[in-house]
Amino acid sequence: MYFLNLSLVQFLTLFGAVSVTMVLLYLLGRSRRKQVVATLRFWVASEQPPAVHKRKRIQQPLSLILQLVSMLLLLLAIAQLRFGAPMATPRDHVLILDTSAWMSAANGSRTLMDEAREKAMAYVRTVPASEHVMLVRADALTLPATAFESNRAKLEQAIARSTPGATALNIEQALAFARQAQALGSGRPGEIVYVGPGRVTAESRLISAPLPKNLRVLETSDATDNCGLRKIGVRRSAADPEVWDIYASVRNYGTAPKSLTLVLRFGGTPAGGHRFTVPPGSEREIAFAWRTRAAGLLEATLLPHDRFPEDDHAILELPPLPSLNLTVYSNEPDLLRPAVTAIPHVNATFRRVEEYRAEATNGLVILDRFRPPQPPKGDAIWIDPPAGASPIPVRTRLEGAPFDHWCSDDALCAGLRAKDLRLGSTYVFESAPDDIKIGQVREGPVIVARAGKNKTVVFGFHPGLSDLRYELATPLLFGNILRWMAPELFRRSAVAAGSAGTVTMQLDPDIRPEGVRVLQQDGSPVPFTTRGRTLRFFSGTPGTVRVLAAERETVYSLTLPELWDSKWEVPGGARRGLPVFRETASLSRDLWQVLAVLGGLGLLLEWLLFGRAEGRVRRLAARPAILRRPGVRKAS
Amino acid sequence: MPPGPLLERQFLEKLERLTIHWQKSFNGLVGGHNSSRFAGGGQEFLDHRHFHHGDDLRAVNWRAYLRLEKLFLKMFQVEPRVPVRMLVDTSESMNSEGGLKYVYARKLAAALCYVGLVRLDTITLQPFSSRLGEGIRCGGGRHRFSPVMEYLNGLQTEGRTNFLEVARQFISAHAQRGLLIIISDFLDDSDCERPLQHLAEFGHELLLAQVWSEEDRIPPWVGDLDLVDAETETRLRLQFDESARQQYTRAFDAYAGSLQQVAMRNGGRYVGISTAMPIEDIIFGSLVRSRVIA
Repeated sequence: MYFLNLSLVQFLTLFGAVSVTMVLLYLLGRSRRKQVVATLRFWVASEQPPAVHKRKRIQQPLSLILQLVSMLLLLLAIAQLRFGAPMATPRDHVLILDTSAWMSAANGSRTLMDEAREKAMAYVRTVPASEHVMLVRADALTLPATAFESNRAKLEQAIARSTPGATALNIEQALAFARQAQALGSGRPGEIVYVGPGRVTAESRLISAPLPKNLRVLETSDATDNCGLRKIGVRRSAADPEVWDIYASVRNYGTAPKSLTLVLRFGGTPAGGHRFTVPPGSEREIAFAWRTRAAGLLEATLLPHDRFPEDDHAILELPPLPSLNLTVYSNEPDLLRPAVTAIPHVNATFRRVEEYRAEATNGLVILDRFRPPQPPKGDAIWIDPPAGASPIPVRTRLEGAPFDHWCSDDALCAGLRAKDLRLGSTYVFESAPDDIKIGQVREGPVIVARAGKNKTVVFGFHPGLSDLRYELATPLLFGNILRWMAPELFRRSAVAAGSAGTVTMQLDPDIRPEGVRVLQQDGSPVPFTTRGRTLRFFSGTPGTVRVLAAERETVYSLTLPELWDSKWEVPGGARRGLPVFRETASLSRDLWQVLAVLGGLGLLLEWLLFGRAEGRVRRLAARPAILRRPGVRKAS
Repeated sequence: MPPGPLLERQFLEKLERLTIHWQKSFNGLVGGHNSSRFAGGGQEFLDHRHFHHGDDLRAVNWRAYLRLEKLFLKMFQVEPRVPVRMLVDTSESMNSEGGLKYVYARKLAAALCYVGLVRLDTITLQPFSSRLGEGIRCGGGRHRFSPVMEYLNGLQTEGRTNFLEVARQFISAHAQRGLLIIISDFLDDSDCERPLQHLAEFGHELLLAQVWSEEDRIPPWVGDLDLVDAETETRLRLQFDESARQQYTRAFDAYAGSLQQVAMRNGGRYVGISTAMPIEDIIFGSLVRSRVIA
């Protein structure tokens, strides 16, 4: 006989407290009460014997005994009194099934996953029918597949549906989850069983928490003959934007050196290859260079294939080289040519003003001192337009006005410096509150930028016909304007192929963490953390994730499986192999339902025998008194 | 904090349609609203009787004299103005169990006063405990109700009940018969039936309003009780249980029955009032049913 919920000391303490409280309340309820009444005549009429001076303290002992016994029974029900030995209660086992990416490695005609499933099912069949098993699938994340379940068919279905994931095993997290599940379960903690080869990441190998004493390991065979791609990084060369620098990292997971060939194909055509040898247990980095302006798929294949072909092949999507079509309508193109052709990725076309067609323009246009018959349909830079044709109203025109200052708080004016400039003839514009006043004379703005569906910049003067022609600020100003109008032109792209799981990325020093966005392929945000200059995010499934940070875009093609770094050393105290259980759970029997009913019946009986009278008095007191109707005499 | 008004204005407005009624026929001057069996100077013909020396010649039926050559006198029905007197118990027993009975009794007195004032009755309100206290006489319409409220608000409980002394003082103070309303718990240790009988035999019509709290009728306590009489401070220790409670209630009901018998035997009325019931239910329920007011 034992308690499931409370220890004996806890039970006795609780019962003692309840008993003392009940006795005190009982005595208080039956203590002599002083009461002032309107008259004593009816009390005397009730003909009760006067109270003796030495009263019996307990006047209705049966009531008190009934209450105490009932409370004892209810407390026994709460404590879950059981017959039998404590060890005879059903146990809760947690079965951790390794579903890491490595489980898809072939071992002969079968995979490691097939072997693990078999062992898991064998374990489930050995567990007594009265005991409960929870199936947990573990890779980088630990997810319960079932609750504590005694239905073996459900457990076997869940085991059969378990498939390898894309990440490596985090054994520490899985064991912590199992311990917590057993602690929160209603039954007695049983075994924590791990089924798998025990290949873990480097972080997981250093388990800080003590290993559970009830750990059992069902090891599967371990095929380590594997070489695979760990990651591939692609970025544009700093020297030549048309050249991609390609870096690949290959790891030899086996125990013997391997001679491998890494073959690159771009758009289906061979793009390079490299033959090399990787020592056992180490990584080798290989660098390539590939020149292309076009977008396309870059495939990397590691030959020859091995038992684990999933990490022998990776595909990256290379973006095209961005460019901007710029059309300059001017009768004096030489005045603007140096400023616009100095910017890379800009395809500048110079046309005479008579050739202007609004619908023919593609990309950005520069309108040099003329009134177009129709306004342009896209972004435009207006240079010294006629007063009536300016998209921004003209306030006045000045001759020989000295230039005053550049705006100081906008990226459009970044790096602009100019002193003692004198503008020959310039318009001063009537700018709107949202306009960006790039350059100003004392009377007002002379270069204004206006955002909107179509971005517009208006010069009140011609930069090639003023002192600005000789200043470094002129090409910088055009560069800033183009960066503002077409930011994608200046965006630096990098592509990396890696494995699913936790991804770590270093941010540039000039990037503010609040401006970083991490997006999935469908545009939905991915949660991430930043600590210092390090950004981390987690992707449990293969896919593409984009990290946008200022003018830098990094595309992660997380298609490679995350593999292990080392083998988990099973502690010596852990049991191994399938166990032999004894069927003992049926000896234990629950009594709390019977005890609860008996306790309730006891309280009911006490109320019927002793408490009902009190209740009746209260009911009578609450009921309006029957008013006596007087007899009516007829008036004489 | 000053006490709130005994009765709300909305409740007073509801009372304005009521009238105090009495059953006996009293002599009195014209001006009341209850007809009397005594003939008087009214307008409505009542009966004929033979003419006696000294009768008013204006009431002789001359047509009958011409036909029968006998003098007959016409008698007319009168609705006399009858004095209404109200005695409110202010003994300490009314203040027991939180003073609920006392508040209730004053509310009832105030309501009946207001009903009488609206019908232009003249009402004398007097407190009593061991003696008859100094009262207030009011009449002349509803605008005279304010002094009554102030008077009732200022009443304090004191002393023990002595109905015999009160009845003696009342008879000597009020020679004219009329309606006598006694609002009390009637919990006098000495017998109060005899004094009430004396009042009735003197010619007053009795209306006994017995106010009790639920604790008075059904004591909620059990076990060892140390009881103290609110008026005499006499102590009584006893064990009280369910059977004793039933005996107590039976004794209380028997006493209330004896009060009812006294009232009915003398042509009066009796109303038992529990403080558990709202005053509005008592006024428009019990009192209207018993034709005290209508």
